[in-house]
Amino acid sequence: MELKDIKAIIDLMRKNDLSVFEMEKDGFKLKLQKGAGDQTVFAAPANGPPASAPAVAPAPVSPAVQAVQETEKGASLREIVSPMVGTFYRAGSPESPPFVDTGNEVTEETVVCIIEAMKVMNEIKAETKGVIAEIVAESGKPVQFGQVLFRVR
Amino acid sequence: MFEKILIANRGEIALRIIRACKELGIRTLAVYSEADVDSLHVQLADEAICIGAPPSAESYLKIDRIMSAAEVGDVDAIHPGYGFLAENAHFAEVCESCKIKFIGPPASAMHAMGDKNSARSFARKAGVSVTPGSDGIVGNEQEALKLARKIGYPLMIKAVAGGGGRGMRTAHNDASLAPAFHAARTEAEKAFGNGDVYIEKLLLNPHHIEFQIVADQHGHTVHLGERDCSIQRRNQKVIEECPSPLISPGLRKKMGHAAVKLAESVGYQNAGTMEFLVDNEGRYYFIEMNTRIQVEHTITEEVYGCDLVKEQILIAAGERLSPHVANATPRLHAIQCRINAEDPEKNFQPSPGRIVFYYAPGGRGVRIDSHAYTGYVVPPYYDSMIAKLITVGATRVSAIARMRRALDEYYITGIKTTVPFHSAIMRNADFRNGTYDTGFVERIMNSDNFALKPTPTRLHEESLTLDRRGS
Repeated sequence: MELKDIKAIIDLMRKNDLSVFEMEKDGFKLKLQKGAGDQTVFAAPANGPPASAPAVAPAPVSPAVQAVQETEKGASLREIVSPMVGTFYRAGSPESPPFVDTGNEVTEETVVCIIEAMKVMNEIKAETKGVIAEIVAESGKPVQFGQVLFRVR
Repeated sequence: MFEKILIANRGEIALRIIRACKELGIRTLAVYSEADVDSLHVQLADEAICIGAPPSAESYLKIDRIMSAAEVGDVDAIHPGYGFLAENAHFAEVCESCKIKFIGPPASAMHAMGDKNSARSFARKAGVSVTPGSDGIVGNEQEALKLARKIGYPLMIKAVAGGGGRGMRTAHNDASLAPAFHAARTEAEKAFGNGDVYIEKLLLNPHHIEFQIVADQHGHTVHLGERDCSIQRRNQKVIEECPSPLISPGLRKKMGHAAVKLAESVGYQNAGTMEFLVDNEGRYYFIEMNTRIQVEHTITEEVYGCDLVKEQILIAAGERLSPHVANATPRLHAIQCRINAEDPEKNFQPSPGRIVFYYAPGGRGVRIDSHAYTGYVVPPYYDSMIAKLITVGATRVSAIARMRRALDEYYITGIKTTVPFHSAIMRNADFRNGTYDTGFVERIMNSDNFALKPTPTRLHEESLTLDRRGS
């Protein structure tokens, strides 16, 4: 699927006043939703790695270390921290929506982000159960070992 | 010239490299473990990236994380320091494949000299005498026994993948040969992943003399004289001096020439050190090469008037040897004491923890290479060296007097250090006469008239409040 195809679909959606378009073909998924904030096809490069990056590899990463943090209200927040050095991405590609948003429920196996290291896309799992309370790391920016990526309630 | 260098190390050498970079106008990226977040090298680098948990295997030895950090930091060169990955040929190869310059020798030279047995072989080929011993790896007890018949006892069984004084066992007779052989192999397998051993004749109380080699990428190789590192405790160097009180100008010329020839034969580039054992009759034997910058590079710098770390960076950037290095001559005398966080009264038991008060000596001819400061917490995960105290003098006598004076000014409280041990050695007659060998430390520690000499206490202890701050 090329960008011009996606642009054509958006055009059609606008013309026909459609709010959601979804398709899946050969492992490629596309969801276009009107007025849903950052879920647009023209996602800033920061939302996903450049299209020229190689395919996502389910890399075997060591579990992210978690820490307990007390908030002002006294509720404890757990942290999902980076197990490696690399570049943090909230989505699998520039065209994809982010893996998780605030308010989303996650389980231990939920992929929450990608950290790209040496051209390898590592899927990072939540390793905890709960609800995403805060997205701490910035998409497209480097992260170091132990850096907080998300806070989970 | 490089724009940014990643320092793949920690402690005093990381600081040393950062200082050289700053003076050359090169930006610095420090990588550090969680235990080193407050380390001086992290604070002084332009950028810093945490690469893992405190244990070295989870941080400073993690090639993938270091390369990630190099990519994220967009560096064009990596300086490996000493220890950690400095002599890891695979790491050098990874850097090369990522188009990041490894500041050190080519991987081929590291392979040639990294394997101690291979190094001996190259030495023989270059006509440099080696300690009598096996022609290669000794595969089994029978071979070891045959060799013992040929060259006689005592023998040293050494790991081919070893270094830094580790992976060695001695055998004084047939009965102890087999157990020592197997023990050495087992230890080598565990420590270095390679159980192969070779055998050398054990020279009794030799002098450990090493030659500094510097070579550029254009085929120009020189030596910057020798360092005497005979003062060792359990095969770990504690005091080094340059020049050696033992080496005459004639012997220096002969050994230096041999060192250069051997370095050239393996296509060596950048800084490196050839290690020899020398007996009292001036016979010398090559034992191994360290394909990196060394802890004691400092005393060569002071005596020959050069900056070896800067030279390493310049060489790696493709520059020819600086004229003042290529034509360097020894002018002064320098001594280095390695200050470790260890308790000399309790068999040098490690003494990590918070340094409550730190004051380093100063004045003419005193150099301190250290990452320590008041309030610094010495972590337990790494080697115990917290400072290098170097004194320079016009003569050996004045360098010793200066070291004595400087040690008496060195205040480090909150942890135990080896300062009192060094002070005692500076007052020892054999050391002062320059008549010592690798058996020196053990002899004096077992003698009756050896007493530690602590830093003199202040006259008005009660009025000094600095000690009580920050604990």
